[in-house]
Amino acid sequence: MVVVQRRELTFWERMYLPEIVRGLVITFKKMFEPRVTRQYPEQAMPTTAVTRGQPRLTVKDDGNIACVSCGLCEAACPAYAITIDGKETDRFIEREPERFDIDMLRCILCGFCEEACPKEAIFMSNELELANTTREGLVYDMEQLKRSTSTLQPRIDYVRKINDRW
Amino acid sequence: MIDSGKQPEIKRVEITVNGKTVQARTDKPLIHACLQAESEVPHYCYHPGLSPVGSCRICQVEVQQGKMPARVMVACRTPVAAGMVVDTESKGAHDSRKECLEFLLKNHPLDCPICDKAGECTLQDYSFAEGQGEGRSVEPRRKLEKRKDLGDVIMLDQERCILCSRCVRFMEEVPETPQLCVAGRGSHSIIETWNNQPLSGNYQGNLADVCPVGALTLKSFRFKARVWNLTKTASSCGECSRGCSTTVEVLRAGEIVRIRPRHDEEVNKWWMCDTGRFALDHFSEVDRLVGACMPSATRGWDQFPVEDGLQVAADMLMAAEKPLIVASPWLTVEEGTELLTLGRQLNGRVAFVSPAQNELADDLLHTGDPAPNRRGLTDLGFEALSPEEILSAASEHSSILCIGERVASLLGEDGFNSLPSATRVLLFDCALPAAQEVGNSPIDLAIGLATSAERAGHWVNIDGIRRPILQARPAPTGVWNTVRLLQNLLGLLATREIQS
Ligand code: SF4
Ligand code: SF4
Ligand code: SF4
Ligand code: FES
Repeated sequence: MVVVQRRELTFWERMYLPEIVRGLVITFKKMFEPRVTRQYPEQAMPTTAVTRGQPRLTVKDDGNIACVSCGLCEAACPAYAITIDGKETDRFIEREPERFDIDMLRCILCGFCEEACPKEAIFMSNELELANTTREGLVYDMEQLKRSTSTLQPRIDYVRKINDRW
Repeated sequence: MIDSGKQPEIKRVEITVNGKTVQARTDKPLIHACLQAESEVPHYCYHPGLSPVGSCRICQVEVQQGKMPARVMVACRTPVAAGMVVDTESKGAHDSRKECLEFLLKNHPLDCPICDKAGECTLQDYSFAEGQGEGRSVEPRRKLEKRKDLGDVIMLDQERCILCSRCVRFMEEVPETPQLCVAGRGSHSIIETWNNQPLSGNYQGNLADVCPVGALTLKSFRFKARVWNLTKTASSCGECSRGCSTTVEVLRAGEIVRIRPRHDEEVNKWWMCDTGRFALDHFSEVDRLVGACMPSATRGWDQFPVEDGLQVAADMLMAAEKPLIVASPWLTVEEGTELLTLGRQLNGRVAFVSPAQNELADDLLHTGDPAPNRRGLTDLGFEALSPEEILSAASEHSSILCIGERVASLLGEDGFNSLPSATRVLLFDCALPAAQEVGNSPIDLAIGLATSAERAGHWVNIDGIRRPILQARPAPTGVWNTVRLLQNLLGLLATREIQS
């Protein structure tokens, strides 16, 4: 059994009213200071290139996916969230994914895939929201993951800058 | 090549490799002794199963002999001599390898992300271990054909080729059907087939294994999987009675995507034939017989679990006078032993289907006998009966139990369907024969079995060499291991005997 020694209240504290007044003073003071509470989701969080949101796949300007299904992100992923199957193309780049699934429930948003990718094909976008009513609905397939290069451009530039430092 | 009847006497001399004393064979190049001493020596053109040519120059080691100063030389073209002192890790050796790699990579495309060899490519491995991070050349890389079709099996990417000529030598020396050549000279050299003919023969698949880089790849495996996602299990090939040692490679615990030969000096050395390599359909999960089923006049095929199926089987077999038990030559020795016990208990006639010789036989590996465990079952005391003999014997028995992978197809579709209706037919197989309609099917009870990729055991090959088959992936739910099935059946029969 643990005996908790409580501090003895002073006389003024035991009087109760002065403490109430002190509290109300703080409350009134705060009413005139700027508000810090964000009304999410109506007011979304501002993001920057540094924001490491959910991974997304780049679609090049010619409409083809940049990914060549090399499987490096799949291998790098510590949460085993990525599953890729490849197929042959008739373009110069001989291979592209047939299936590219990311189980967003497994994804821990670590960004290893972005770092592993030799093709600038997967980036941590600024998308942060994730909600669904089923588990299956949160396994995103290739169509759900595709984003145009222009959407991802700030992040692409940022990652290039970081890589140049190496 | 494979049947090693007379072995010439092997002479050995003593040499030192990285401080270890080795008894090196004089009929093998120095690299053989180094590898034997477990010293890693990079090599591309050297393959233990092919004649050495010394064209890639990567296998440099430092050798000191007698009073001569130590020199760097290629290990695969240096004969061993008594008293050699070899250092595979000297600075000189590493420097030469590094230079050599720089030249090999001069024209090599940056293809690793899409290359099927990536992950098991020695060019990747040694570049990582010895090479430099960046290329120094400013000239553009050589542009060559990237999708050169070499027939039904192999695809050639000429840009990736490092001209080690293993493929050329393989075709000349192993199946002895020279079909590839190095065309052009110097930096214009490329690998080509004679007159651009497609490759032929039953050993083309090995080209993808001997090629140290991703230049020759299997069409059937093209872009199918990244090799590090494959689970590899040692096994044996069941397409002929040679029983080549293989590695079965499974993608994500599901589909078998590749079968490759595994080095086995006594059986298949480093090779296997294409018949065995591409026999993947036999392991497919579609149209499998799962659980047990019986024809019912009103409900079509009645499906039920194996436990219940075995009860029915026990009743049927108990009622039989002298059942005919027909095994498939795919049964393992262990399963054969259980089946013999069953045969004795039922006082039945036990035989295995001995299929006719096929036209695939050659003098390298394929025996033309599609019965992988013929020897094992014969040694156990099974009678070998041809499909015709079995079909004619069937009418003399009131019940026939056909058991094992592919047993129905070995009897022939027509043959199996013509089994007399007076005879009770129990079929334990991986799949039902094609187009079995209730009413005209001879089957009275069928139980699903595991394929040879889903169970473990041993086969004895044509030369009496016993080799394992191991479980490469799980059997479909509701399919039992054959040994367990037979043991349960024996148990049920024993219980019934006591009760009656
Ligand atoms: S690492 Fe990049 S190119 Fe490779 S599979 Fe992942 S996204 Fe595609
Ligand atoms: S052959 Fe080897 S080094 Fe060349 S692209 Fe393929 S994996 Fe990379
Ligand atoms: S195709 Fe492969 S095996 Fe043939 S020479 Fe080129 S690298 Fe060597
Ligand atoms: S392995 Fe020795 S020169 Fe190629």
